[in-house]
Amino acid sequence: MLDVIRKMFGQPSKGNGSSSDAKQRLKFLLVHDEVALTPAQLDMMKNEIMDVIKRYVEFDAEGVEFRLDKGDGHIALVSNVPVRRVNNTRD
Amino acid sequence: MSECIVVTSGKGGVGKTTTSANLAVSLALAGNKVVVVDADIGLRNLDVILGLENRIVFDLVNVIEGECKLKVALIKDKRVPGLYLLPAAQTRDKNAVTPDDMRRLVADLKKEFDYVLIDCPAGIEQGFKNSIAGADRAIIVTTPEVSAIRDADRIVGLVEAHELPEPMLILNRYRPGMVSRGDMMSREDILEILAIDLLGVVPDSEEIITSSNRGQPIAFDDDSPIGAAYRRIAGRIQGEDIEIPDFTPKTGFWPTFKKWMGLSGQEAY
Ligand SMILES: Nc1ncnc2c1ncn2[C@@H]1O[C@H](COP(=O)(O)OP(=O)(O)OP(=O)(O)O)[C@@H](O)[C@H]1O
Ligand SMILES: [Mg+2]
Repeated sequence: MLDVIRKMFGQPSKGNGSSSDAKQRLKFLLVHDEVALTPAQLDMMKNEIMDVIKRYVEFDAEGVEFRLDKGDGHIALVSNVPVRRVNNTRD
Repeated sequence: MSECIVVTSGKGGVGKTTTSANLAVSLALAGNKVVVVDADIGLRNLDVILGLENRIVFDLVNVIEGECKLKVALIKDKRVPGLYLLPAAQTRDKNAVTPDDMRRLVADLKKEFDYVLIDCPAGIEQGFKNSIAGADRAIIVTTPEVSAIRDADRIVGLVEAHELPEPMLILNRYRPGMVSRGDMMSREDILEILAIDLLGVVPDSEEIITSSNRGQPIAFDDDSPIGAAYRRIAGRIQGEDIEIPDFTPKTGFWPTFKKWMGLSGQEAY
């Protein structure tokens, strides 16, 4: 009922906010279009690079960040790999 | 000074032909001599939107192939002085014309007209290349949807690569009610993403459909807010400084009550 009254007086009813989904997906898409690398290809690249890193250090696979980022004017490949501390004392 | 403006989009069906027709009418109403060229060869539509389909004898391909004089192929609109259509061929395909042909044609038209508008076909192939070949400026039409804006972004890059700097955007089928509910990207969202100047906003409206049913572009209608939106865009094309309104739907008791009673099926602006 309240909603009906609100509508009668012309206050906008709540939508499901899909426009922010649209905006996010669009931004993501355009960055990938610009470097001609699909999200799936970026994922493959990430996996190959992680395989190399794995040979040298131990890291927390869950916490890995690997994405394209559009700053002002240029696109950067941004990655953050949380490395696990190792106990360096020898026996 | 004469100017050739191409109306393009990448994605099909976003409103290039509707926009071309209404801007041509608006520019002519403002006292300019205007020709609008249907470059969608094989899928002729602009003549129908303008209500001139019964008067076509020759077309663009006839002119390019030298089968008739340019002047003979032009159809003069009888509703407003200074408005002409050069129709597309319906039974040929886009490869019947080359970018060089279009450059020559546009150069000839610019001698006679203040504005040469080109209604570009969808896509980025031959028809697109032909359409932008002779143009001085590009208008990019999009709707507020992810797929259309993605294609518009691609077109911005392509027209800039063809030395058409600073393309301008027309945001078509805008629904302010959906924007305020958070269910449609706002014009600010879209401009932030596309980084291009906004030339105008045209709301989504049933009037567009009824006017194309009749072959009477809405820009002819003095009382229509949609017609007014096109006439304002034409003013901006001519260099006038005209504000772009919000198109916030009229809210409050009466407009909403009327809508409920079915007196006006649409958002009022
Ligand atoms: N502002 C609007 N409100 C409502 N309907 C619209 C609006 N603009 C365009 N349309 C409708 O959208 C449809 C497509 O429009 P139009 O033919 O102008 O698009 P187009 O970009 O030229 O298409 P194509 O790529 O096939 O050439 C038509 O049915 C038209 O009536
Ligand atoms: Mg069209």
